[in-house]
Order: sequence, then C-alpha cells, then structure tokens
Amino acid sequence: MSVFRKHKSIVDRAASDRNRHKKKIERAIKESIKDVIAEESIIGQNGKKKIRIPIRGIKEYRFIFGNHEKNKSVGSAGDHSIKRGQKIGSKRAKVASGQGTGHGSNEKGDEYYDVEVTLEELAEYLFNDLELPDLEKKQFRFVSQEAIKRKGYRFKGIRPRLSKKETMKRKIRRRKIAEKIGTYDPDSDERFPFHRDDLKYHHIKPKIKENSSAVIFFLMDVSGSMSQDRKYLARSFFFLLYQFLNHKYERVEVVFISHSTKAQRVDEDDFFKVATHGGTIISSCLNLELEIIEKEFHPNSWNIYTFYCGDGENWTSDNEKSIDLFKKIKDLNQLTGYCEINESYKGLTDDADDNDFGLSSWATFSAWKNEEMENLWAKLSPLCDNKFKKVMVGDTDHIWTAFGSLFGGKQ
Amino acid sequence: MSDWTPSDLAHWDSKIIRVAEDLGLDWYPIDYEIIDYQEMLSAMAYTGLPTHYRHWSYGKEYERTHTLYNMGQTGLPYEMIINSNPSIAYLMRENSLYTHVLTMAHCVGHSDFFKNNRMFADTNPNNIISSFKSAAKYVKKLIEDPSIGIGKVEKILDAAHSIKYQVPRYPGIKYKSRQEKLQVEKELIESVPDYVPDLEKIPLEPEYNVLQFIVNHSKHLKEWEKNLILIVEESSQYFIPQALTKIMNEGWACTIHYKIINELNLPDNLHLPFIKLHNQVVRPHLGQLNPYHLGYKLFEKIIEDRGFEEAKILREIHNDITFLRCYLTEEFMQEMNYFSYSFKKSKKSITIDDISDDEGWEKVRDELIKNVGLNRIPTVYVDEIDKNNVLSLVHEHDGRDLDLNYAQKVYEYIKVLWGDNIKLVSTVEDEEWEF
Repeated sequence: MSVFRKHKSIVDRAASDRNRHKKKIERAIKESIKDVIAEESIIGQNGKKKIRIPIRGIKEYRFIFGNHEKNKSVGSAGDHSIKRGQKIGSKRAKVASGQGTGHGSNEKGDEYYDVEVTLEELAEYLFNDLELPDLEKKQFRFVSQEAIKRKGYRFKGIRPRLSKKETMKRKIRRRKIAEKIGTYDPDSDERFPFHRDDLKYHHIKPKIKENSSAVIFFLMDVSGSMSQDRKYLARSFFFLLYQFLNHKYERVEVVFISHSTKAQRVDEDDFFKVATHGGTIISSCLNLELEIIEKEFHPNSWNIYTFYCGDGENWTSDNEKSIDLFKKIKDLNQLTGYCEINESYKGLTDDADDNDFGLSSWATFSAWKNEEMENLWAKLSPLCDNKFKKVMVGDTDHIWTAFGSLFGGKQ
Repeated sequence: MSDWTPSDLAHWDSKIIRVAEDLGLDWYPIDYEIIDYQEMLSAMAYTGLPTHYRHWSYGKEYERTHTLYNMGQTGLPYEMIINSNPSIAYLMRENSLYTHVLTMAHCVGHSDFFKNNRMFADTNPNNIISSFKSAAKYVKKLIEDPSIGIGKVEKILDAAHSIKYQVPRYPGIKYKSRQEKLQVEKELIESVPDYVPDLEKIPLEPEYNVLQFIVNHSKHLKEWEKNLILIVEESSQYFIPQALTKIMNEGWACTIHYKIINELNLPDNLHLPFIKLHNQVVRPHLGQLNPYHLGYKLFEKIIEDRGFEEAKILREIHNDITFLRCYLTEEFMQEMNYFSYSFKKSKKSITIDDISDDEGWEKVRDELIKNVGLNRIPTVYVDEIDKNNVLSLVHEHDGRDLDLNYAQKVYEYIKVLWGDNIKLVSTVEDEEWEF
C-alpha cells in the first residue's frame, strides 16, 4: 500500500533563486545599457516603445559540442519519405528571445540573448537600485503650493461660507417632522421660517499641493573643442537624466540650450547634430536659461533641473561671471549638475560594484585636477552641496557612476 | 474540478500493486505527494528533489519552464519520481483520475528500474534525501555567514557547475587509490621488461573526476570551498545513472504501465482516455528522438521476441549505450525511419546525412548512440600537474569539436577553482588547439 499525502508546502521555494536570477538579468541589462542609451532619442518617446537589449552572461557555460558538420543529430522521420542531402531547415541555431522581464533559453549557439523591454521598464531597471527612498526625501522636495480645499460641513462658520443647500435640506427635514407630529399644518398659510440650527457652513482646510511638473534644462557646449565623441557621451548622459526625471514627475518639459560664445535655444535634433565651432563662454547659456525661467517657468510652479555638459574649458575672463550665474541657478533649481567630459579621466574605481566612491574621492580627484589646470571644475567646488553637483565622465562606462553620484550618492 | 478523491487513488493503487507483484516486479515503496502546478514547477526546477541547495540557475529553470508552459509550448510532466527509498512521486492535483492511474503504474515501473538496474547500485537511495537536505543546509549556512555570503558561494557554485558532468561516467566501477595504482605499476615493472612508467606523475592515469581532483590537489581552496565543490560532485554522481539510462528507464516504465493498466480492467470512461494518453506519450517526435518512444518500442520488440522474463534481465544489466548497441537492428531502424542530419556551413542549411537503408543504417545508429545521454557531453580529463602547478586538461576528441566560446568560458571557471594557471588541449578542425 503506497502512501498518499499532501505535499508539505514550502511557500514557493524557488522564490529566492528566481529573485537572484532576476537580479542577474537586471545587472546584465544595466551593463549593456550604455550601448543602448546612446542610440535612443531622448524625448518624444512614448514609454511603451520597445527596445531590444542584447544580454551576455546569464548563461550556464559547460563543455558542449559546436554546431558543425561533424556534430550530427538523429531524429525519426515517421511516415515521411526522406533522402540523403535533403534540406530540412536553414536556421543555424534557434535564437531564443525573451519578453519583458527576460526569459531566454540556453540553446547552444546563441551568443547573446535579447531581452525586449519598454522604456518604462528600462527606467525601472535603471533606477531601482539607486536607493530611491533616501533620495526622494532629499532630492524630490516637490515645489508646493498651498491651496484651499472644501472639506465637509460645520455648524459654525462665517456668513460667506454658508451652504445654502445644506441649510435648506435641514429646514425641509425639520418641517417634515413638524408635519408628522402635528405642530405645523402645511395647508395653512403660515410661514415655516429658518431657524438658527438649520444653518450649515462649508468647512475648508488648507492643503499643500505638490507640483508635479518639471522642466529640465540641458545645456551643452558646442564649441570647437566638443568632438562628436564627446557629444555622444553627453547625449547618453542626458538620456539617462531625462528618463529618470520623467519617471519621477507627471509632466516633464525639456529645454535644450547649446552654446559656444553665444547661446541659443534649439530642438533635440539640432542640439546633437549642429556642427561645432567657435570659442566657449559658458555664461551665455546660463543667462539664456535665467531668461527662459523668468518668462516661462516660474520656480513656484515648476521643479527646475539644470544639467550642463561641457569639456571644462571656458574663457578665463568668463569664469567669475559663470560661477555667479551658477549660484543663481542653483538657488532656483531642485538640482543643478555640472558634467565635465574629459577623456583623460579614467574613473576612480575599477570595480563597478563598488559605489562607495562618495564625495571624498571626488574631492581627491578635484584636488588633483586643481594642480593640473585652472578651469571651472575646481572653481565650482565651493558651490557643491546636495543641490549642486559636479561629475566627470571619461567614457561610457562612467556614465552610470556619474549618474549615481548625482542622484544616489551616499551622503 | 477534479474527478477523484484520495480514496479513489488508494483503490487503484492497491490494484496496481497486486498486478505489479504478479508480474514479478520488485520496487521501493512509493510515497505519492499531491501538489499543485506551481509546486510542480518548483519540483521540476530542483530536479524533483524535495530538498536541494539553492542556486540562481534553478530560479532560471523555473522561469524558463513557467514561460514555456504559459506560452503553451510545453505541458507539465504527468509524472516525476525520485530515486530514493521510499520513492517520492508527485501527482498534480489538476490532473484527472485516469492520468493518475497511468502515472502511478508508470512510477512503479521507474521505481522497479531504480531498484534493479545495476547502474543505480551506488546511488544510496536510503539516505539520499537526507544527504541532499544536509547539503542544502550547509549551503544555506555559508550564504548566511557574514564572512562568506552569497556572492562568494555563487562564485564557486557557478564554476563547479560548469564542469559538473566531468565526473566518471560508468558507475559501479571501483576506482583505485594512488597507492593501489602504484602497486599495479610496480607489478608491471617487474613482469614486463622495458616498461618504464613515470611514477612521479600526478595523476598516474587520466583522471576523469575533475571536480574531485581539484579538491584533492588545489593549493588555494578553503575548506568550505572544497566542501561546496564536493556537494556539486556528489549530486552529479547521483544523477549520472539517470542520464545513462533515460531511454531504458522511460521505455521500461511505459512498458510496465501499459501492461498493468491492461490487467486492471478499467471501465471504458477511464480506459479510452488512457489509451489516448499512452499513445501521446510514446509517439515519435518528428525530427527528434523521443526516449519514451524509442525505449518503449525496443522493449516491446524484445518482449515479443524473447518474452517478459528476458526483458527483466535486460533491465538489470544494460545502460542506454549497451542496450542500443545490442538491440537497434536494421529492421528496427528502418521501421522507426531514423536519419541523421547536420548543419552545413557551405550551404547555410541543415541537410540529411544518412538514412536507415541498407548502407546507411549503421552510420545512423552510431550517430544516434553518440547523441544519447552523457555521450552528448564532451569528455575532459586531468592529464597532469606540471612543476609550476599548472593543471593540464585534455578534451578527449571523438570527431566532434568543442564549441569554442563555451569552452573558453569553462576554461575561465576552472581557473577560478584551481587558483593557478591551467592548460586545456583539444582538437579543432583536425589541428591541436590550446586554450
């Protein structure tokens, strides 16, 4: 006689291993993302757009035989008649692709496996491990407005807030009762007057309303020294910033300002495509930004973010002025970021896992920089706090860490 | 929604047992566990074991099956049984009564095979559940140890998993210790003139248990790392017999369930769906090798020609490779219409190489055997450790080249385990290749 029993259920015992696998996928996505983001258009994308990301490294490697002529397979042909040399397929290997969270098979032969994610999911992946809970308190003090909201009724109040409807209702109710118990005869001509107890007033409460629209100013140096490669880096960086803020706010406006010695407001295409020329006066674009803010984006109703990308060069005579303007902008902004693109910068830590470079190492770096050359980078140091940050990017690998230090840096 | 109660199962179970005893089968008692489909997915991911150490690859396996199942590309297995004493088998709650009856009869066949086939002689079915349990506990302890943690544990497990099939493939053979081998060599030196072996060489003969060799000879592994590698090695050893006998095991279980069910005198409402299900399980898959089909058909033929008692002897002594060598006849190959095929680089297409006619059937048979169980996995052995502690590995080339990308990754993994430099020699397109 066999034993029959209910399975002793361990609550979903695969959960932790599934989670671990998911983390690996997310990490692989993150590692390949820098290649993807540089290709994507920054704005005007709806979040549902799907992008394919090739992923490496979640495979379990073993010794296997390669897919070639000497490695034959055997199968049954059933009732079909077959002959030698007959062609039965053309795919070299099944290429498996996953959907959404990324499932793929490990059929031999596929070097990558593609994961299709939407921009929204991508943003989730990207930003989930930035320790958002902490950061929200610090960085996302939404601009707030005090509004007044009606909230129920009270017996006491000032005359202007009298609710005629509620007062009338109470009077009618009282009259009906009076009719029932016979103290008032509806057929008589006698008037049934309002009573003090009938009066009801609107109650109001002040309410803090969070403003959930944001405007991002992307400022970029397009002077002669900004090569195509540098702009490529800037573009990747801006993409991340845009995605991130878009993720946080209901409505996000973007203003692109490019500058050489003069600044101009441009659209996205021109921002990245326009040929580079001329010298560098950073203050020009900062002035333009302040003008635009004044005209279109009042700081009381807009959360303002400014990100500047340049190669760190500026005309020396303009430095003082630029710093003053950066100060002004900082006061109006939720966050101001200054990003210097500098190929000689090799990163401070090789270990991508180690996010703990924090402020101290940045400070060390800026000290080193200080000796090398006098440029804006060093001079901006006094401005740095949690509303003004500067980062340096040398190649695409640094974008993620730079981004982390803008938003997620441990403080 | 289900059309059965536990007492129905018990009723049919006692009938199945009676018939199986009459057939002269000898199996471990079976504990049936009723599970739902999610638990079945978990059970599948962890190779059926109720206790298994954790590793992300099992999570991946779960997701994979889950996705395939949701997309309707695969059904869940009707049956899953573990080689243990008592055998643990899973019945999925959602299945209907006739499926359960078939599954239980099928499980008797498997359990009988586990208990009698000589490949399984050393699998230690009495203690296997508890030994997996303590391995799982140990891994958990390491993961929770603040000085070790999941990162370091995964590093070792990832690497060890990459060569988990590089263990001896023929169970039941006693492996000699170095001391015993030296003794043999000494006797040879005395009896054979001009025989000059290198007695300093480590290992003396090619060592196929790569994991165990690394544990025994690594200069860098910590104690817990060695234990972890041995856990992987032990679990591989446990599964080797099942990989070696997939076709026989399934064929035998199908033969048994068919025999038993026909003796049960099932009412029509159970018998007709049973026939349908049985035919579905043992049908050939076009262009593929269905082990249920091949195994069932072979046993059917053997029983027809030589009787059931003879078949019982064969189920004890063979593994898939020897079984196929002996009983895949030309007639049978033609009946099954087997053919071999491969990808041709020059034509960028897959074409048929040989078919089972007079000239071709032996070639197709040989290719078929190459594609069975562990033959699909390349063999790599330890050749020696040289003076600079470089571990030298050799791929035993059998005409099929390695996938170089994969081999390169595995090479890196072995380096992680060994801790010093390693060397891997293979043959690629008829030339020696060194990683």
